[in-house]
Amino acid sequence: MKRQKISSLIQVILFLAFIGGFFIINLLTPDRTFSEAENRMLEQAPKFSLDSLFSGKFTTSFETYITDQFAGRDGWIGLKSFVELALQKKENNGVYLGENGTLLTRFEKPDQKRLETNIGAVSKFAGGIGVPVYFSLIPSSTEIWADKLPKNAPSVDQHELIKDLYLRSGANNVDTYSALYEHRDEYIYFRTDHHWTPLGAYYGYRAFAEAMGFKPSSLDSFTPNTVSENFYGTTYSSSGIRSVEPDKIVIFVEDYEGLSITNYTTGSAEEGVLYDYSRLETKDKYSMFFGGNTPLLQIKTGHEGPKLLIIRDSYADAFIPFLFEHFSEIHAIDLRYNKSSVRDYIAEHGIDEVLISYGLSNFVSDANVFLLGRQ
Amino acid sequence: MVFSSILFMFIYLPVVLALYYLSPLKWRCVVLFVVNLIFYGWGEPVYVSLMIFSTVVDYVLGMLVNKYRANDKKARIFVLCSVVINLSLLFFFKYIDFFITNLAHIPAFSSLKPLGVSLPIGISFYTFQTMSYTIDVYRNDSPVQRNIIKFGDYVSLFPQLIAGPIVRYKDVAEQLNEREHSVEKFASGVQRFVVGLAKKVLLANNIGMLWDVYKAMPAEELTTLGAWLGIIAFSFQIYFDFSGYSDMAIGLGRMIGFEFLENFNYPYISKSITEFWRRWHISLGTWFREYVYIPLGGNRKGTLRTFLNIFIVWAITGFWHGASWNYMLWGIYYAILLMIEKAFLLNWLKKAPAFIAHIYTLFLVVVGWALFAIEDLGSCLTYVSAMFGGGAGFTNPTVSYYFMSYLPSLIIMAFASTPLGVKLMNRLPVKSRQIAIPVLIAFVLIISTAYLVDATYNPFLYFRF
Repeated sequence: MKRQKISSLIQVILFLAFIGGFFIINLLTPDRTFSEAENRMLEQAPKFSLDSLFSGKFTTSFETYITDQFAGRDGWIGLKSFVELALQKKENNGVYLGENGTLLTRFEKPDQKRLETNIGAVSKFAGGIGVPVYFSLIPSSTEIWADKLPKNAPSVDQHELIKDLYLRSGANNVDTYSALYEHRDEYIYFRTDHHWTPLGAYYGYRAFAEAMGFKPSSLDSFTPNTVSENFYGTTYSSSGIRSVEPDKIVIFVEDYEGLSITNYTTGSAEEGVLYDYSRLETKDKYSMFFGGNTPLLQIKTGHEGPKLLIIRDSYADAFIPFLFEHFSEIHAIDLRYNKSSVRDYIAEHGIDEVLISYGLSNFVSDANVFLLGRQ
Repeated sequence: MVFSSILFMFIYLPVVLALYYLSPLKWRCVVLFVVNLIFYGWGEPVYVSLMIFSTVVDYVLGMLVNKYRANDKKARIFVLCSVVINLSLLFFFKYIDFFITNLAHIPAFSSLKPLGVSLPIGISFYTFQTMSYTIDVYRNDSPVQRNIIKFGDYVSLFPQLIAGPIVRYKDVAEQLNEREHSVEKFASGVQRFVVGLAKKVLLANNIGMLWDVYKAMPAEELTTLGAWLGIIAFSFQIYFDFSGYSDMAIGLGRMIGFEFLENFNYPYISKSITEFWRRWHISLGTWFREYVYIPLGGNRKGTLRTFLNIFIVWAITGFWHGASWNYMLWGIYYAILLMIEKAFLLNWLKKAPAFIAHIYTLFLVVVGWALFAIEDLGSCLTYVSAMFGGGAGFTNPTVSYYFMSYLPSLIIMAFASTPLGVKLMNRLPVKSRQIAIPVLIAFVLIISTAYLVDATYNPFLYFRF
């Protein structure tokens, strides 16, 4: 009987120590503002007011707050994904764990309405702008590296989707898909990030050259330069899967005298850089290209050639450097941060050619592409 | 607030246990009432007033029933008041929009607009509890409660407030006044809570993701095998979700000295539908038997009347689960099955080999879940027809992917649906068990915490009821 009591006591103490222990630890550990591993701002302590209490805002954000600030959060998340994989799950949080530690985001069926709006805007834009418009959709690694996916893993057929969108774009379509597919055995996408690598972007550049009719530089003419061997990207963050090797970032185009970049990151013109090496010390290493997302980039290349405007998302960051020697000016607008009229911009800056370049998943989901269709 | 959350486990529970055990015996009922209201008001603070209203009204009516016991007519009126008030609350908050949207189909009422009342959590549970109180007092099954705080504890008791078990007043009447607290009882509460936590967080949430995939699958991609895989996933999800929640409730109850009746008894090992309903959501079945079926005459008034009573009780049971036609359909589905079993099938099943009876029961229960799981009647029928070959072919690679991905989970859940685990545990020599239990407790607590911290996925199915 006594033994039984001791055994019960052990269970009770174990339980209370666990819940009470973490209660106290959570009180004592300071709050974090940013999670490197998840690459996002963490919820902070909500301010209490009767209004926010009765609207339910307070309680909801309080729960997010304590979950976000739970002691050892990153470790717990890693443990969860470890258990999932041990249970023979091939995915966690919508990301597949493919061959060779490749993380591949499941491509969900696009929202048909959004898709119609976006492609309609492109076609309207291409039909009425008066300068040649090129259109490039970049498939995600999940498609090009489908052979690395877990067996039978469901993912939308991006090739079909691109073909369908190209039929309706009314623009000069760039066959980026084939260019990437031909080189699928090379390191053209990051294994832990949703972007293509500069090497992938180089093949995208070749496809664009073919569509526009200029002669691309050969790969041999560049000197590859490994700037980071420790890059954990966005899919690493969203998957929670921690058992994979980091990526390398290898750049090809060198900075040179005479390249002049104006960057509008803050909304007003500032001198920009081609590579912001300080970003390699942070989590978001892909933002080393031009210093990351920006509403407007204006680049004077110092070379002869037409003036190009790129309507783009972040895939273009790794891609733009290859274009320098073919254009005199390159302008890049990101509609997510820049809502001003593209039409006016083209007239004002004497743009000769336009390239609309998007990662496919961004293109079918982005809520700002419609801006192109405005008169 | 739900049990399976960081908030409950690592803030609310440690604070409540500390307050409860540090306060003198006399004050514990007050502490309990206050923390119950905080628990309840966390999501919708306004509805705390509803809880207090219910408490006061049924407390007063209970006193009146008791006072006029000698005058049966008057006593009956007060019982009726309690029933009407409770059912009105339930009707208004849960069903009014259902009736409005359906009435609006009739031209004369086409201008009616839904009110958009949000459902106070647990209202289906606590209105049934408070009704049972006045009825029990009237029937002399339990003494009247003169202490309003203690009565409030009964109405709002946090362990079973939002998802049951539905505790009849007579089952806890004495415990409200005096409870036994001991280390052994607390430890058994811990064990039970941890079992429930594992069911909810590790099993139900996990397999729920598979159901989410199939629930959202467009009809043109839904194959026969896929539809079965999906609904089997739901069958496991709802069982582990709900029974896990009941286990946690029972466990938490024991931690503060209460002993609640069991709510589930391995329903998926049943050999008939009749048996299934004796093992599934026992407290609801008991409630309906005691306060509806038997007062209607039960099975004492001839076959025809028995069948009618079964029909009424099961249509209401179905409707109790949600304000939508599919729940009613689900209830009637069971009414018909139960009548058939009562008429002749039960005798046949008793003679049939056990595995046939098991397959028969599981098959019908799983088909029943398809009626239950999809609220929109059209989609519901499309899904059921896919299960029986009316979908997009027999199978496809996606089914293989999900089947292989979830195979280990499915095997674990099939095992956990039977009493084998408990039997194995009890076979262990006492010494090994005394080591195994704390190890298992620690294991479940750690892994569950990992899942809760990664809580992008933690919906709670029984909020709607």
